[in-house]
Amino acid sequence: MNSQSQSQSTSVEDIFDSSLNLEETHFKEGYNEGYSNGLMSGKEEAEQTGLRMGFEIGEELGFYRGCVDVWNSVIRVEPTRFSTRLKESIKKMEELIEKYPVLEPEDESANEIMDSLRLKFRVIRAGLGVKLEYDGYPKPKEIEF
Amino acid sequence: MEGSFAKELYSESLQLSNAELGTEPIVSGDLQDDGGSLWGGSDEELERESDLDREWQRRHDQFHTIGYRGGLIAGKEASAQEGFNIGFKQSVLAGYNWGIVRGFTSALSCLPNALKERLIEEQEKRNKFRGLYETVHSISTTDALKFFHDDVLRNKAEEQSEHAKASSDVSGINKDSSGCSHLENYVGELQSLLLESPEIKSHLSVK
Repeated sequence: MNSQSQSQSTSVEDIFDSSLNLEETHFKEGYNEGYSNGLMSGKEEAEQTGLRMGFEIGEELGFYRGCVDVWNSVIRVEPTRFSTRLKESIKKMEELIEKYPVLEPEDESANEIMDSLRLKFRVIRAGLGVKLEYDGYPKPKEIEF
Repeated sequence: MEGSFAKELYSESLQLSNAELGTEPIVSGDLQDDGGSLWGGSDEELERESDLDREWQRRHDQFHTIGYRGGLIAGKEASAQEGFNIGFKQSVLAGYNWGIVRGFTSALSCLPNALKERLIEEQEKRNKFRGLYETVHSISTTDALKFFHDDVLRNKAEEQSEHAKASSDVSGINKDSSGCSHLENYVGELQSLLLESPEIKSHLSVK
């Protein structure tokens, strides 16, 4: 009786042991399967998001570049056309554009530079007294590829 | 800049799967309750064992599913930044060049006429700039993005057909494919207008 109860308790432990192990094995199997699928689908999904955001950010930055190009052309043909302060703002804006890490989406300075660019743009626009708007910002609506 | 990007993308699904985990607790008490007869030999007990097998199978499937969900989210998070960077780098320069066309023509159209005339002497050319501005202005970022997406898809299709062909004249085909894209047409139009207008200088990048 004594030895039987001992063997019983051993087999009970075995069963729960193997049950727990099996559950863990199944969990791990599922996890690994999910992980490799997630790697693929996550990359594709994020690539689509990256395509969209890269284009939008590129467009906004290019917009400012195009404006600065026109203003610089004006300064070249008529150096006294804009006030000194305005010219300084345009120069500052150009520096910001050149500083922007276009090909480094993980660079954390990007947001800050873009904010400064938007601010400078508004200042210059007010200085010129023109109605110039970057239509792409804020984004009109969410787009699905 | 996009450090928390993966979390933004997947935090919702993560919460969802946590909620599911919470509402479906894995009951482990019932096994212990009738554990005493697990290893009996009678028919009735064999039947009970096969019930138990099914129960275990169900639970193991459940563990597999829970594991799968967790793995899927972890896998997505692990590859999100990489995928994002790939997409971003693929589109940012196209967006940039397109943006220059938008910004340049917009800023130009805002100048007083006298200044425009100093920059661009010929009336005909000024009209062309004006025309380009009007066309470009009517295209929203959303439209432009669609054009761009079409271009990407077309380029991919062409790449695939190129791989099927001999690779000898790949460069020639590439030139053709970039020439027929919507957005690049506008970029090209601005480029050629600028070439004829020596007073204006642009940073429109030459590829």
